[in-house]
Amino acid sequence: MNSKLNDIAIIGIGVTKFGELFHQSYDDLVRDAAMQAVKDAGISLDDIGAAWLSTAFPEIGVFKGRSGMDLCEPLSLYNIPVTRVSNFCASGADAIRNAVNSLRAGECDVALALGVEKLRDRQPQDSIVKMMVEYGHPFLQKGFTAAGTFAVYANRMMKEYGVTREDISSISVKNHFHGAMNEKAHHRKACSIEEVMASPMVSNPLTVMDSCPTTDGAACVIMVRAEDIDRKKHRPVYIKGVGLSISTGWDLPFFDPNHDFLSFEATRNAAKMAYQQAGIINPIEEIDLIEVHDCFSIVELLTYEDLGLCKTGEAKDLIRGKETQLGGKIPVNVSGGLLSCGHPVGATGIRMVVEVANHLRGNAGERQVNNAKRGLTHNIGGPGAIASVIILEN
Amino acid sequence: MSDIQSYGIAWPRFRIEDSMLNPSTGRKGVTRAICFSDEDVMTLAFESSINCLAKSQISDLKSQIDGVFFATSSPVFRNRYHASFLADLLNLPQGILAVDFLNSSRSGTDALLLANELVDTGKYRNILVVASDVDFPSIGKETATSFGHAACSVLLSREKGMAKITSAQSFSSSVAEEFSYKKKNIQQDPRFSRDAGFKTNLASALKKFVSTPASFDAVILNSLYARLAGAVFAKAGFEERQFTKDSLSQKIGNTDAVHALLLLMNEMENEKKNILLADYTNGTNFFEIKNHCSLTEKILQNQLPEFELINSYQDYLLLRKAGNFESLKYETKEMFSSEMMYEREKESLIYLEGLKCAGCETVYYLETTRCKKCMGEKFSGVQLSKTGTVYAFTHEHYFPSSFPPITMAVVDLDGGGRITVQQTDTMYPERNKLEIGSRVKLVLRKMIENGSKPDYFWKIVLINNS
Repeated sequence: MNSKLNDIAIIGIGVTKFGELFHQSYDDLVRDAAMQAVKDAGISLDDIGAAWLSTAFPEIGVFKGRSGMDLCEPLSLYNIPVTRVSNFCASGADAIRNAVNSLRAGECDVALALGVEKLRDRQPQDSIVKMMVEYGHPFLQKGFTAAGTFAVYANRMMKEYGVTREDISSISVKNHFHGAMNEKAHHRKACSIEEVMASPMVSNPLTVMDSCPTTDGAACVIMVRAEDIDRKKHRPVYIKGVGLSISTGWDLPFFDPNHDFLSFEATRNAAKMAYQQAGIINPIEEIDLIEVHDCFSIVELLTYEDLGLCKTGEAKDLIRGKETQLGGKIPVNVSGGLLSCGHPVGATGIRMVVEVANHLRGNAGERQVNNAKRGLTHNIGGPGAIASVIILEN
Repeated sequence: MSDIQSYGIAWPRFRIEDSMLNPSTGRKGVTRAICFSDEDVMTLAFESSINCLAKSQISDLKSQIDGVFFATSSPVFRNRYHASFLADLLNLPQGILAVDFLNSSRSGTDALLLANELVDTGKYRNILVVASDVDFPSIGKETATSFGHAACSVLLSREKGMAKITSAQSFSSSVAEEFSYKKKNIQQDPRFSRDAGFKTNLASALKKFVSTPASFDAVILNSLYARLAGAVFAKAGFEERQFTKDSLSQKIGNTDAVHALLLLMNEMENEKKNILLADYTNGTNFFEIKNHCSLTEKILQNQLPEFELINSYQDYLLLRKAGNFESLKYETKEMFSSEMMYEREKESLIYLEGLKCAGCETVYYLETTRCKKCMGEKFSGVQLSKTGTVYAFTHEHYFPSSFPPITMAVVDLDGGGRITVQQTDTMYPERNKLEIGSRVKLVLRKMIENGSKPDYFWKIVLINNS
């Protein structure tokens, strides 16, 4: 693949408050995030040439987001191509990937990617749990919740690498500590390791506080080709690498005798693609901050290894040494991650890009990573099947 | 005449004490076998049949079986409880003679009797006789009824087996067990059903069929009135020492259509050589059986001491909510399931016909186009085994279940192939703890019951616990 790609720049970013947004509808969230981004970019809605809408689960939300149409209607944004993207938790990142490729191909000059998910209008058991209980194959994997599909990785990690429950819960403590500084996070309260471990068990060893909440929220980015940047009004952040890989299936990891439950092949592949495009050789030295898909705390721990931040089996040393905390060698999830911000599935990937862009602009306030030059966002979806990695620079 | 080629039994892991069912009338030390919430007539029938077929010496057995006879007194119309479905679950050839024997406590031996006749004609080589019963009395009336859950399968063959049925007869009776109907209640008149019915029938039948009473070293009478039969037998020339005691009903309860077969197997395991089996319900079935091999494995008697007691009446009530995936946390409205999917995928999902990569020998449970490891496209079929080792697991506290948590385990099957399934028989999870490396076996259980149609799929139980 050609590693010298035309740079794409993000010129507008917007993100709603994440949480139980009972006062805002799906359409309200779309308007909120999109208009923030449009304003930030200093453009008008009519400048947008094509758009991508990321909503992962319309059927367990409010039945909105089944096509690109649900982006057009709230914005009165008609007569341009709009595509709905659905790729589990990597949906948001995939919307950006599609927008980037459209700009590179010259299909449009200004592209918008917006992710939105409205899950809290239903009872918690009626959304994600319902999906695992009532939908899907009648036999295969029946009995798993989303937490369980990752908990088996935790049990293997504990067995193989000497990872302890404290190590896993430390991720949650760190991210809640960061989240307390993020005014847009769902949960803004630091917590102790005892609180995490004493919260109700979901799937051993993962507790409620090792699991991200289901959340409403939306995020939006507007992109142009680098040559179209207007230096006078834009504060651009460049997209240097975009990797996306589907490396296994919905059922296969649980029925593949060679799968070790110690690593996500998809993350490794996506990272390899993005690193190659961005020219990154030693990620821990060359990247300043990372947003990792910590849907469950174990996933962040495991991803340290898959992103190449440390050697296999050494992820626990990074968290024990507080290297991934704000002020450490490589801060991870300074936004508070999914654990604090919550996880409006289609919006999460774009929310991460907005977060990193804020740091690269020096706009992140209390939780600003000093002198941030380069950041990475990571998503993993399905049962570890689909991963995306995006590299951003200022 | 036909030979008993092999037999298999199955009963639930759980038992409840009579005194738990009813503290005032229940007897201490008397227990009944009770299905777990995912067991039913079909899962027990399947398990006993699998056990039975595994013990047979006949090579290429499945193509040699000409019939499946399914006997039960449990209500069957609500569900897919029938011989054809059992034959399908067992992966027996389509078009096989599959016959149901229903509605009678005698149906187990009825099936045996008819199977014996068919094999005797020479037209049928092997017939699998399966009796299975799962019936619950109404709540609060358990100790007034003699119930227990079990299944027994017998493979009758024209090939020489472990025992030979030398005579099989039936003596019908027009005297019904139930005497009269008063409004909705059935009134029993014991004089009528016992004396006029049972005793008369037995006396006539003995006179007609049994010429040499002294030749038997075991006489089995399966009847609720067995205790009253002494005088009738004595008159026919039998002695008291010949009679066998029904020790099973104290442990697993009276298993109705299955019971006569279980009693027979028990006496075969006691190494009785000449057995007379009499099974009375509105008529008597008589069998004379010559048991000519001493068993190396006492299948029934070895399994008898293996069980878990149910702790409380509350837990028993939870068990009876079979198939309802309701919990405090979640109430399911409907789970997706499709009979078409089952039909299409049964070779792989139920029959465990896996694929082995010709390049790297990786074995796959699920159908695949290319090998995930070596990307090879050539596969050969391979029969996966039903035992394996736990590779990874978790306990799911939020998936709806009567007995949370549900344990999900990734299991590497012996000989290759990986499957991820629920652990079952976990009413008391602390007694059935899985670890990475635990040895487990697959058992077929109910997964989903939408309305009235149960779906069956594999779950695991710990090997040393079953």
